[in-house]
Amino acid sequence: MIEIAGLRRIYRMGDVEVKALDGITLDIAKGEFLGIMGASGSGKTTLLHMLGLLDEPTSGHIIVEGTDITRLTDYEKTMFRLYKFGYVFQDYALVPDLTVMENVSLPAMLRKDRTEEQIQKDSDTVLEKIGLFERRDHLPRELSGGQQQRVSIARAIVNKPDILFADEPCANLDSENSRVVLELFREINEEMQQTIVMVSHEDWHKDYFHRIVRLRDGTVISDGYNGKEGKAG
Amino acid sequence: MGQKELKVAFLLALRSLQRGSRSSVILTVLIIGMCFTNMIFLPSLFNGIGQSITTQIVDYEVANVLVSPKSGDRYVTDLDATLDLINGMPGVERATPHYSKGATLKYRQRVLGVSVRAITPGDEKYVSPLYSKMIAGSYLGEADTGEVIIGKSVAGDATVREEDEFEPSLGGVRVGDSISIEYGNGFTREYRVKGIYFTGWSPVDNTVYTTWADMEEVEGKPLDQADYITVKAKPGYTEKFIKDELQQYGVSEKVQTTADLLSKSMGQALQTFAIINMVSLFVSIIITTVVLFIVITIKTLNSRKQIGILKAIGVDKEVIMHNYGFQVIILAILGIILGILITLALSVYMSYNPVVTPAWSATLYITPLDLLLNSVILFIAAIVAGYVPAYQVSREDIQTAMRS
Repeated sequence: MIEIAGLRRIYRMGDVEVKALDGITLDIAKGEFLGIMGASGSGKTTLLHMLGLLDEPTSGHIIVEGTDITRLTDYEKTMFRLYKFGYVFQDYALVPDLTVMENVSLPAMLRKDRTEEQIQKDSDTVLEKIGLFERRDHLPRELSGGQQQRVSIARAIVNKPDILFADEPCANLDSENSRVVLELFREINEEMQQTIVMVSHEDWHKDYFHRIVRLRDGTVISDGYNGKEGKAG
Repeated sequence: MGQKELKVAFLLALRSLQRGSRSSVILTVLIIGMCFTNMIFLPSLFNGIGQSITTQIVDYEVANVLVSPKSGDRYVTDLDATLDLINGMPGVERATPHYSKGATLKYRQRVLGVSVRAITPGDEKYVSPLYSKMIAGSYLGEADTGEVIIGKSVAGDATVREEDEFEPSLGGVRVGDSISIEYGNGFTREYRVKGIYFTGWSPVDNTVYTTWADMEEVEGKPLDQADYITVKAKPGYTEKFIKDELQQYGVSEKVQTTADLLSKSMGQALQTFAIINMVSLFVSIIITTVVLFIVITIKTLNSRKQIGILKAIGVDKEVIMHNYGFQVIILAILGIILGILITLALSVYMSYNPVVTPAWSATLYITPLDLLLNSVILFIAAIVAGYVPAYQVSREDIQTAMRS
């Protein structure tokens, strides 16, 4: 589903070059729940941002279902993110002035292939799925951190994206709420065959992943299915 | 930009204003409202002053068309024939002569130099509303002799001491009192004060009116001459029409419309008013533009991360830009509505409490066109002020925005 080849991202800080990603090559299959793990500064968030079209690689290619997304125009990238991807960020990133329902509906409202009725129905369905339908008219500030993150997940899946990207979604949650969120991801993955690419640095999260890619200094140091992690290369 | 995108942009804008900082919204609307009021108030007051002066000049000095002596002549001569000719023309309501003479008034210990103006009271009623401005006694009758009407400023107030008076007066003349008038030619006579009027137009309120017959007595001969003739047009006839007609009919005197006279006498003043109005308008627009620019810039700077997130989830930069654009549009509309309400309230207040000076009194003179024009100017300024920062922030790179 996703083919990554020779992906590099070099940041320039004055005269110094920082290699955030240094030649990543890997494939991600449809329906996989992939965990990208590694220490802080290993390049996992940078990789996620490259895959999610939030940043541009210095070199290399990312091909999503036959489309080299690194060659898309700015507008095409926006539309690709809207139609193909879903995002969950570590700080929930909800629009504070919109209700739960409005936050969830927002990406669907921009799609040309969704009617008002469909948007309403899809939003109701995902809110019921995350167990926050009753709180649909509340504002984000009236919810706990865990609830806000669940709303963020609902927003990410309302468009039934091809790939769901999650950037350390449990970083601001306690372990109980983290478990609720991870269970939700597992459920979505299993029931909807949703491809999920998630960045985490918490070792216990790996129990939820099908496959784990470990990074160090911008390179893949191991890549394997849960419990059978093998060395890269 | 499709309808869906605009709808989302509008929703984001509306919710931001509804659920964001209420005090910020109120203050911004208040500032725009005040700027609008400032844009309208001063020009309207100047227009009111101009309108008031114009109305008074028309009512008490010129009517619609003024026939004055030819160059080199002191009087309009052959008065009766000229009046007959003018009064017979289509479109002329009435022509009436004015003849003034300098005089000294004496009442008890007071002595006051004034101009005594002779009129034909009956005809004057068609031309000037003076007859309706009597505050005591009554207006002159056509056949009155030995009687005058005097302005409130001439009559004075008995309760005010001479040294405390704003302008000299006769110190409290009342209707029925006798005053002595000594004309420049030495003719002196006692006249009964038949009425006291107040117009609010200083030159008239400082005048004494007498009948044509009494002035003929002063001059010692029938008066077939006048300083000038004022001509009132019938409704539906323009001043220009009357002027052209008078000239075509062979009135050889100098013929000028009110507009001709005002452009000379008021031209300089109106030009000064226009400059002040322009400065006031310019300052108001600058203030509104700067305020809205700052408000939207602060909003966008505080929301950079959120803007990054919105772009990340697939919200197009145009939607983000129009979100802030719509916020400015809503704020500008609310501000302009508030400004219109404040302006209309001020207008109502000032109609009951006009600005009064010894020379004129003025209220706000506001036309729907003034409101519309200023609304459009302010609206355009607001949109420019809002869209510039919105455009800038919407173009920002996602990573930069999200890291902020």
